[in-house]
Amino acid sequence: MVLCPDWPVVAWGIPLNEPAAVFVANRVVSCSPAARLEGVAVGQRRRDAQSRCPDIAVLEQDLDREARLFEPVAAALTDITPQVEITGPGVVGFPTLGPSKFFGGDLAMAAKITQTLEPVLRDRGQLYMGIADGVFGARLAAKTSADIGEVSGSSTPIIVDPGGSAEFLSGFGVDALGLPELADVLQRLGLRTLGDFAALSIDDVVGRFGAEGRMAHRLARGIDQYPPDLRKPAADMAVTWWFDPPTERIDPCAFAAKALADEMNRALNDRGLACIRVAIEAETENGEEFTRLWRHEGTLSAAALAERARWQLDGWLHQARVAHRSANTDPDAGVGSAIARLSLIPDEVVPATGRQLGFWGGRAERADDVSRAVARIQGILGSESVRVPEWSGGRGPAEQISLIPAAAVDLGEPREGADSNHIHQPWPGQIPPPAPSEVGSVVGVVELVASSGESLVVTGRGELIGTPEWLIAGSEEREVDRWAGPWPADERWWDPSAHRRRARMQIVLSDGTAHLVVTENQTWTIEATY
Amino acid sequence: MAPGLALNNTGLAALDPKVLEAVRPRTLSKEQLLEVPDVLQPLFPWGGLQRGWSVGVSGRGAWTLTAAMLAPSLGNEGWLAVVGAPLVNLVAAAEVGLRMDRVLIVDTPPAGQWGTVVAGLLEAVQAVAIAPPAAIGARDARRISARLREQRGSLVHLDGGATWPSTLDLGLTCTTTEWQGIGKGHGYLRYRRVAIEAVGRRSAARPAAVAVWMPGPNGPLTAAEPEERLASITAIR
Repeated sequence: MVLCPDWPVVAWGIPLNEPAAVFVANRVVSCSPAARLEGVAVGQRRRDAQSRCPDIAVLEQDLDREARLFEPVAAALTDITPQVEITGPGVVGFPTLGPSKFFGGDLAMAAKITQTLEPVLRDRGQLYMGIADGVFGARLAAKTSADIGEVSGSSTPIIVDPGGSAEFLSGFGVDALGLPELADVLQRLGLRTLGDFAALSIDDVVGRFGAEGRMAHRLARGIDQYPPDLRKPAADMAVTWWFDPPTERIDPCAFAAKALADEMNRALNDRGLACIRVAIEAETENGEEFTRLWRHEGTLSAAALAERARWQLDGWLHQARVAHRSANTDPDAGVGSAIARLSLIPDEVVPATGRQLGFWGGRAERADDVSRAVARIQGILGSESVRVPEWSGGRGPAEQISLIPAAAVDLGEPREGADSNHIHQPWPGQIPPPAPSEVGSVVGVVELVASSGESLVVTGRGELIGTPEWLIAGSEEREVDRWAGPWPADERWWDPSAHRRRARMQIVLSDGTAHLVVTENQTWTIEATY
Repeated sequence: MAPGLALNNTGLAALDPKVLEAVRPRTLSKEQLLEVPDVLQPLFPWGGLQRGWSVGVSGRGAWTLTAAMLAPSLGNEGWLAVVGAPLVNLVAAAEVGLRMDRVLIVDTPPAGQWGTVVAGLLEAVQAVAIAPPAAIGARDARRISARLREQRGSLVHLDGGATWPSTLDLGLTCTTTEWQGIGKGHGYLRYRRVAIEAVGRRSAARPAAVAVWMPGPNGPLTAAEPEERLASITAIR
């Protein structure tokens, strides 16, 4: 397992000796070593990170870019072994038995890998390696290597002897499993390390924690999450898309990837299977073939599959473009590597337990029906056409909730802004509830006539001159039965360009209709209707 | 049929309860019902909103009533999409219990796209509220109706169904509205008593009416006597 730590930061092209961190939902998900020295840590809130390190570069997570830039790394590794499998941007693994023998031992192979990847990575950070019996163990070994490397400044591969994985893992805390809920329970049961957990009998673990517990227990014992199954999945589960004409753009590829992923997932579902490793294959119009394996420690859902296929194609296309540019050929000649065929082939399948493990890339899986419907409508009406409400605070009825594009939020996640409790400040001058049923009006400017026959006026001191008698909207005249107010609102008096002086009144007409009317510069408008 | 299994009443009663359970009709109309607030129950034929129904709501406060009616039916997971109704005030909906993190606001689609948009939404969300600016074509309406029945969601017409080419399953109208708490230059709009009438087709053909406080002194939606006045408020006047 080869690990490039802090890849999300590296992908942004930021030198690692400058403090930088990548944030998702205001939490640090990755930071550069320089930032770590200042006390920034994964999971921290942005405010905390910035207070520790004021000149930190705040970056947004861009999985597409991470994956695209990681492809050359994976491609370079194929010189050593064809069986390269990517777990996620920054993490890549392969079975070492063959290559290790070929290069004359694990250490020699590690040296070869470093040598191979050096020109690809250049100054974009260190790479760390871990070798163990299983994927999970190798990953923790690589992680350990990275931790040591951070202190010592050099990369030493951690090699766990065959059969020694259980012992190696036993010292790690249970939170290394990446299952926070399970880890929490285990810790409260007094089982703090993987060794403690592995010492339990498998029957007890299954009895208490079910299928998820069994997989975690297997991991803790240093064996693969699923029992090995040497049968290759049936070939008819592979799905293929032909591009006609072949394409160099990512959009049609992404579309095809989504369709294929759905199709393959349906085929797998029908058989009660789930995919943990998929081969993504592409063929260019010139007949060149590319294949790459992607692994997911949980199981790959349709959305996650599509995402990986898109990343992979994007990576290939990007590389082709780079190669094309460096070759200095005629720019109008085309890259000559338009993709003609895309195939997804389930490479390793396991019985579906109906539960996803969120080791990595857990965001795509939550995309549910609603997000899909929203995406479809955005395709028809435009990207800003679907919006969701968030409380924003304000005096007027139209200002208390603002609508933000649904594309900007994760609909599967609880949203803080949708909870009215997140507005803490009081808004003096707010009209008391109930809120009007409709805000705005098709009528627009209206006239409020006082008993004297003149227009109703609210003075600069917020006093009402006269009493309202009639509401005239267009050609319609309605008698005002009762009224309340005015409530003056002197807003943004500190900012001359945004300063507004308004006064609101509630009026009830003789037929029981109630309006909220507002006056500004001597004109009245219907602001809302109850 | 097995000998001796006569399908008269005595025969059925004599059967093993397990057999009776097995031959019981699977879908009872009661199971097709979505919960509505208690005070609105008399307006609905079986005391709840039938899945797959098209309901028109009109009159002053139609949106508040819609939000109050749908809020319990959405439960914890259901979404409400509001299409082509730029004037609705979500604050009012939140006051009657609608969850703001389960609401989608969709722009008004062009005339020919209503079918695609609303039918597409019905596949994913529990309820859709629409207020089309112009009449919806018969083809779009058929498409929406088919999807509505198939997905067993709810469709609410905020214009009372004026733009819908066919009849609705149920129409709710806020007929008389009376405000309390406001006087001639004092107080403020505080409590509202609304008379709601319901009439529909088939099982809902018999008209029904209730009077509710929306809101009232005891909550955002409570029952009211038709001629009830609030003593305290009357005293102020």
